[in-house]
Amino acid sequence: MRIVTALVDIDPQDTAGPAGPAGRLLGSGLVRYLVARFLLIFPTVFVLVSVVFFLMRATGDPITTAFGDRLTPEQLHAKLHQAGYDKPLLTQYLSYLRSVATGNFGRTATDNEAVSHVLRTYGAATLELAGYALLVAIVVGVPLGMVAARYRDRGPDATLRLLAILGYAMPVFFVGLLLKLVFAVWLGWLPVSGRAGTGVQLELQNQTSTTGIYLVDALRSGDGSAVADVLRHAVLPSLALGLLVAGVLLRLVRTNLIGTLSADYVEAARSRGVRTGRLVSRHAMRPALIPIVTVLGLQIAGLLGGAVLTETTFEWKGLGYELAHYLTVRDFSAVQGIVALFAVVVAVTNFLVDVVAALIDPRVRY
Amino acid sequence: MTVRQFRNRRPARDGITVVSLGTAALLALTACTSTRSDTADAADNGGGSAKAITIGTTDQVSSLDPAGSWDAGSGTIEGEVYATLLAAPNGSSDVSPDLAASIKLSAPKEYTVTLKPGLKFANGHDLTSSDVKFSFDRQLRIADENGPSSLLYDLAAVAAPDPATVVFTLKSANDTLFPQVLSTSAGLIADEQVFPADKVLDDSAIIAGKPWEGPYTIDSYQKNSLVSFSANSVYRGSLGKPKNAQVRLKYYTDASNLKLDVQQGGVDVVYRTLTVTDLQDLSGKKGITVHTGSGNGIRFIVFNFKTQPYGSATKEADPAKALAVRQAVADTVDRAQLADQVYKNTFEPLYSSVPDGITGATDSFTSRYGDKKGGADPAAAKQRLSAAGVTTPVTLNLQYNTDHYGSSSSDEYALVKTQLEASGLFKVNLQSTEWAQYGKDRVADLYPLYQLGWYADYLDADDYLASFYSANSWVNNGYQDAAVTSLIHQEETATDPAKRTALIEQVQDKVAAAVPLLPLLQGSTAIVTRADVTGVPDKLDSSYQFRWAELTKK
Repeated sequence: MRIVTALVDIDPQDTAGPAGPAGRLLGSGLVRYLVARFLLIFPTVFVLVSVVFFLMRATGDPITTAFGDRLTPEQLHAKLHQAGYDKPLLTQYLSYLRSVATGNFGRTATDNEAVSHVLRTYGAATLELAGYALLVAIVVGVPLGMVAARYRDRGPDATLRLLAILGYAMPVFFVGLLLKLVFAVWLGWLPVSGRAGTGVQLELQNQTSTTGIYLVDALRSGDGSAVADVLRHAVLPSLALGLLVAGVLLRLVRTNLIGTLSADYVEAARSRGVRTGRLVSRHAMRPALIPIVTVLGLQIAGLLGGAVLTETTFEWKGLGYELAHYLTVRDFSAVQGIVALFAVVVAVTNFLVDVVAALIDPRVRY
Repeated sequence: MTVRQFRNRRPARDGITVVSLGTAALLALTACTSTRSDTADAADNGGGSAKAITIGTTDQVSSLDPAGSWDAGSGTIEGEVYATLLAAPNGSSDVSPDLAASIKLSAPKEYTVTLKPGLKFANGHDLTSSDVKFSFDRQLRIADENGPSSLLYDLAAVAAPDPATVVFTLKSANDTLFPQVLSTSAGLIADEQVFPADKVLDDSAIIAGKPWEGPYTIDSYQKNSLVSFSANSVYRGSLGKPKNAQVRLKYYTDASNLKLDVQQGGVDVVYRTLTVTDLQDLSGKKGITVHTGSGNGIRFIVFNFKTQPYGSATKEADPAKALAVRQAVADTVDRAQLADQVYKNTFEPLYSSVPDGITGATDSFTSRYGDKKGGADPAAAKQRLSAAGVTTPVTLNLQYNTDHYGSSSSDEYALVKTQLEASGLFKVNLQSTEWAQYGKDRVADLYPLYQLGWYADYLDADDYLASFYSANSWVNNGYQDAAVTSLIHQEETATDPAKRTALIEQVQDKVAAAVPLLPLLQGSTAIVTRADVTGVPDKLDSSYQFRWAELTKK
C-alpha cells in the first residue's frame, strides 16, 4: 500500500490507466519494473543451482568418494542404486530440481542430517554475522568517505584512500588473523574465536525457544553479561568481514560526494556562504547515498563469500563454516543446499535493493 | 528545497550519525568489557558447576548411534555415555568386567556373561540381558557401512536366557579375542526401548531418549559445536563415580584456535589434535602440560607385491630381487631421525607391526636390519642388493597423503626420500594424493610403495597382525603366506596366554623377514592440560585410554 502511495505521490501520471485502480497499478512503470525484477530471481537461482549441481558431479559421485575403498563392488553398486547415482546425469538433475522446488534438499551424506535442518541451524549465525559486518561497513565506510570527500586530494583523503584499498585488497582471512593476533593474542582484549563463551553458549543453547541469533537470544534472556559476551565475540569477525565492504563504501561515498559537491545547486549553496561541512552533510549526502544502496545489495554476495573464510578463521559456526566443512568432505547434498540458499539470499536481496532504489530514484524505473 | 524534502532528509543524516556513534561506542565498550570472558567461562556457573572441565577437540561427530559410527569423534562421546560389558582398565591391555559381573568360556564356541545387578539407563529403564542381545543383533542387522559391525565377524548368535545372563555363540572355537571385541564400540549397549532394531537413529531422538548407561549423561547437545555432560548417577561400571561432576566438549576446526584457547584458559584440556609445532610451542609455556608417549597408533610404508620394483606384475618380476629391495629399504631408513626431526619425539621409532607396550610386541626389525641396534646402515643395504644382483640405483615410486595423517607427512616423507637417496642406492619419486582418491588408488594397485597408518580397535597384538597379514587383510597388498596365516589363526584361538604370546612373536619375526610393510613410527594422541587439571599421566603409554572420569580440576 505504501508503495502505491509513493507511486501516486512521485509519479502522478502513472495513475491515468484504462481499467480502474487494479489496471492502473498493473499498468504503472514501477510495478512492471518490480514484477520484472522479481521474476528475475527464478532464473538467477535456477542457473546457480544448476551450475553447482554439475560442477559437483564433475568430480564424481559422493558415495564412491566416501565409501569406495571400504565397500565391495556389489555393495557399492547397491548403495549407488539406492541413492540414485547410477541413473543418467540428466535424470538425477531433474530429480534434484523437483526436490528443491518442493523445499526438499535431501540429507547430508556424511552425517545423515536433513539439509534443511543444517540451513535452519546455521543460517541464523551467518545472518547475524552479515548484519554485524554490514553495520561495521556503514559505520566505518560512510563517515570516512565523507571525510575523504571533504578533504579531497589532501592528507586525510590520501590516507583514507590508501586504507580503503588495503581494506578490500587484503584477503579477509588475513585481516582476520591480523586482528586476532593483535587484539586477542597480544593485547588479550577480545576472545580468540567462537560466537560466545562456553557458559553463555550453554545458557543460550538451553533456552526454551531460541532464534539462533545470539544477540537476540541474549537480549531475551535479560542477562546483561551474556549480551556483552556475545558482542565481545562479535567484534573481531565483524571487523574482519565488515572492513572488506567498508573499503568499497568509503571510495564510493567519496566519489559520489565529490560529484554532487560540484553540482550546480551545491555551487549555488556555496556561493550563498554555506560552509563545506554543512554542504556535505545537508546538500550533497542524500544524492550520493542512492548508488550506495545498490552497491550494498551487491556486496551481500561478497559478504556471504567472505563469511566462509571469516567463519572458519573465527570458529563462527554458521553456514560459511559448514560449507567449508562439507566441501572438505565432499558432501554434495549439503554443499548444494547451502549454495542454493546463498543464491536465494543474493537474488532476493538484490530484488529488495531494486525496490528501494526505485522508490528513492524514479529514474531507475525505465 | 521544500520543507517536506528537508524533513525527509534530516532523519537519514541524523540516523547515520547516531548509528555511527552508537556502534563505535558499543564496540569500544564491549572490547574493554571483561565480563564473561572465555577464561572466566571455564570457572563460571553458566550452565554448569564451578569445577566444570572444558575439553577442546578438532574431531567431528558423525553419529551418536553406536551402530552408525566408527570414527574417533563419535567414539569420544560414545565411550563416555554408553558402556560395554568388558573394558580394559588404564595401564592394561587386558579386558576385565565393566557392566558385566563375570565372563566365562562356557563351551568351545560359547561365552556366557553375567550382568551386574541393578543396571539402569539414565532414563530409568532397566538394563537387562534383553538390551544386550538387542544391541548385538541390531549391530549385525543394520551393518551400517559407517558402523563397527565388522568387528563382530565371529559372532553367530546371542541369547538372553534370563534377565542377568547373556550367551554369545561364536563361529570359531576358542576365540580368545572375543572378550576384546566386547570392549570395542561394537559392544556398546543400546536401550531397546529407545533405538529402532533395523535402522540408525537420529542424534536428536537419541538425546531425547537419554539411553545413557556410561559414566556421563548428555545435558545439552549442539552437534560439533558444544556438548555438556554431567555425571550419570545410575552408572555401575568399573570406573566408578566420576571425579568431576561436569564436562563440556567444545569443537574446533582450526587447531591454532584450539591452541590459543587452551593458552588463554578457554579450554582446560585438549584431546585430539594439535600440530607438532603447536605441541612443541605449548610444551614450553608456563601452566601448560603436554602429555605424550608411545601410544598405540602406528605409521608404516606398505610394499605392493605386484607393482613394487621386481614385483609380480612388473616386466622384470623376480621375488628374490623384490625381497632384497624391501630389506634394503629397511636397512636404510633411520626411524630415530624421523621421530626427532619431524615429530620432535612426539612419536617414537617402531620396529615391529605391533607397537611397544602391547602384550607380545617384539622388536623383530632391530636385530635383522641396519646396524642391528635400530639405526640405519646403508652399507648393509648395498651388500644385500649386490648379493641379489639388483642394479642400483633402484627407482622407488613412493606415495603419501597429507590430509589424513597430518600435514607433517610431507616432512616425514621428504626425509624418507633424503635418507634413501643419500645411500646412493635408491632414486625416489615422491608423490602425494588427496585421501578420497588415495583410498581408491591404493587398493587398485596404483601405488608401488605407500604410506598408511593404523589405530587399534582393541588393545591386542592380533589387531595389528590379522588386519595386515591374514587372508582378509585390510592392507591387501598382495602379501600372502600360509605359515603366517596359520600362526595368526592359532594365536586367535590359543587359550594359554604364554603359548599365544609365543605365537604372536613368531608372526612378527616371519613378517619382519619378508617386509610386506615397513614399520616406521608409533605415537600417542598428545593430551594437553592446564596446570589446574589432573588425572592424565605425565607419560602416556600404549595402554592408556583417555577417560574423563579420571579428570579433576582444582
